[in-house]
Amino acid sequence: MKIDPAFIWTALVQLLSAIPTTLVITAVSVTAGFIIGLITALLRIYRVPVLGPIAAGYVTFIRGTPMLTHLLLIYFGLPMVLDALAAQFGWGFKSSSIPMIGFAFISFSITAGAYMSEVIRSGLLAVNRGQLEAAYSVGMTTSQALRRIVFPQALAVSVPNLSNSIIGMLHGSTLAFTVSVVEINAKAQIVASTNWKFFEAYLAAAVIFWGLTLLIERISAAIEKRIQVYNRGGVA
Amino acid sequence: MIQLTNISKSFGRHQVLKQIDLTVQKGEVVVILGPSGSGKTTLLRCVNYLEKPGEGEIAIGDFRLNCKHAGKKDIHQLRQKSAMVFQQYNLFKHKTALENVMEGLVVVKKLPKEEAKARSVALLEKVGLGSKLDAYPSQLSGGQQQRVGIARALAMEPEVILFDEPTSALDPELVGEVLAVIRNIAKEGITMIVVTHEMGFARDVASRVVFMDDGVIVEEGTPAELFQNPREERTRQFLKRITPEYNYSI
Amino acid sequence: MGAPFDYTYIFSYFPKLLSTLGITLLIVAGSLLVGILVGFLIALPRLYRIPVLNQLARVYVSFFRGTPILIQLFLFYYGLPEMLKLVHIDISKAPVLVFVILTYGLHTGAFMSETIRASVSAVDRGQVEAAYAMGMKGTQAFTRIVLPQALAIAVPVFSNLVIALLKDTSLAFTLGVMEMTGKAETLGALTQHFIEAYIALALIYLAVSFTLEKLLLKAERRLLRHEQPAPSGERRFRLQRKRGFRRLVAGMDSGKGGAEA
Repeated sequence: MKIDPAFIWTALVQLLSAIPTTLVITAVSVTAGFIIGLITALLRIYRVPVLGPIAAGYVTFIRGTPMLTHLLLIYFGLPMVLDALAAQFGWGFKSSSIPMIGFAFISFSITAGAYMSEVIRSGLLAVNRGQLEAAYSVGMTTSQALRRIVFPQALAVSVPNLSNSIIGMLHGSTLAFTVSVVEINAKAQIVASTNWKFFEAYLAAAVIFWGLTLLIERISAAIEKRIQVYNRGGVA
Repeated sequence: MIQLTNISKSFGRHQVLKQIDLTVQKGEVVVILGPSGSGKTTLLRCVNYLEKPGEGEIAIGDFRLNCKHAGKKDIHQLRQKSAMVFQQYNLFKHKTALENVMEGLVVVKKLPKEEAKARSVALLEKVGLGSKLDAYPSQLSGGQQQRVGIARALAMEPEVILFDEPTSALDPELVGEVLAVIRNIAKEGITMIVVTHEMGFARDVASRVVFMDDGVIVEEGTPAELFQNPREERTRQFLKRITPEYNYSI
Repeated sequence: MGAPFDYTYIFSYFPKLLSTLGITLLIVAGSLLVGILVGFLIALPRLYRIPVLNQLARVYVSFFRGTPILIQLFLFYYGLPEMLKLVHIDISKAPVLVFVILTYGLHTGAFMSETIRASVSAVDRGQVEAAYAMGMKGTQAFTRIVLPQALAIAVPVFSNLVIALLKDTSLAFTLGVMEMTGKAETLGALTQHFIEAYIALALIYLAVSFTLEKLLLKAERRLLRHEQPAPSGERRFRLQRKRGFRRLVAGMDSGKGGAEA
């Protein structure tokens, strides 16, 4: 086996077709994860009885175990639970009708939810308590104060961490190959084994991921710069 | 004796020190006054080589160093001749008061631990902190931290102790205890160069006062000379601004 | 899919999985060692702004942070023997574990170097000045004053890195290493009780991360004993705020929450 530089380009072109799948998995898990994370964070900050501790347990469990185990647990466990429920209540539902990528969506969203809840929580806690008091003092309700004053500031603080979470999920999407979803990593595997050129194929995959990561970092830096304008102070 | 000859220093295009000459005799307490940005702190830091002068010569005791050809070894030797008390105290945060004072004795002077400890305890007692030997800096007040800083400087038995606005970062009620300690050691005949805004202290303790502005020494003299009849207009202006309370009588 | 759920399998799997915990921990420990070493090598040129090396270090960090660990594993497994063949070193016969530890080590090293850099930069400049002022040499000031303080600052991030690494090792099975996840897969396939195997697996990972976190927290407390709260209430408040801030900084700098794997 000799390194074939030209094949890196060939592989790169072939991998392009798998980029949308990777991006969709990332986008779905990040979006759903953000919503789950927000709810989880609020449940914990407001110390909601029963739900608060459950939220904390969820975060601890997810953060203490590999993302791969989440996927495997969902992949093997969810159909079992659903089929049992379907049999119990006579639904006409069969777990085999769930597409493979659905397991990746569900499992990765659960993973992302726990990590993002920590990001959101630290963002919310970073907002000065005086801001909330000031909002009350001008007569805002709690939800107004949260929506108009606290969330925007928390979001601004959280941009770098959110971008890290997105990158984490982008890289994590490579695990979807275990449930036979053909994203970039799985595609690289296919290209590699059909041509017997492993190194070149994975190098091409690495280049794509590197590029996507740098892109996310750039965008996040630009957003941060815009959003943080008020933090700079001064006249300009 | 400390002799600074022709010291110049620029930050980028801005010349902060312009060919300064200053001599300090053994046992003298020299106070440097001047508006902020006049270069007084930079000058002090040059003596310790925390700032590298662009040119000039620094002599402490019989050790002479030309700033143009200063090697690592020379700088290291020069630094051992002086000690610094910082505006922000700069105590080693991960070491107790006692360990802070011992550190230099053990690491730089290579004293045996027991001896270093005995000397450090004595010095901390001298600055009134005999009961705080095992306290970490974060557990001490600003005034106490600065007194540890002074003990740390004394421990090195330097030819000169440099004080860089030692009371500027302190709450007003803590200034007194630190100045009292500095006064006491001044009486023991230790050579000191002090940058400060405390006029009262300069009046009482200084053997000589140096007024700096815009990178040059404008004038120097005994406190009586400088405070009562400043020769230069710039000095007069400065004194008027910094001591407005003398215009009113209570 | 698989046999009907039977929770007793979970218990019977525990000892079987634990028999491979050693391999998992070996990968973690080995990679940490490599990672710390690499981390320093990469951090120093950046801290001291050594030309050329500084730029190379940046590219290194960017690559290892910018690509998934899974891709890196394959890349090194297939690529390294080829690369080394060019300089006439044959490692194609080396055990897979070596590649795995090396890859995780290089990967962790990138994150470690960022942690080291951030922690060293977080030490107050005045600390070094005070050390120089009393006549310490550069290396003395670094090892006696800066490093101990940086270490204390770095522990929370370091702790995150270790746990992220533990979780990442679950991917080693893709190269055929029989660590815990690989073992769980085999057990599942053998008995068709997949879900029980993965529940047992998850619980063990949870227990190990929990233990590691507690241990590292202990280490942090020890290293930070110089910031014990003072008796006065006001001071305590200030200290805690500072510490909270540092944790925040720590979390931000690493970017390695371990979401992956």
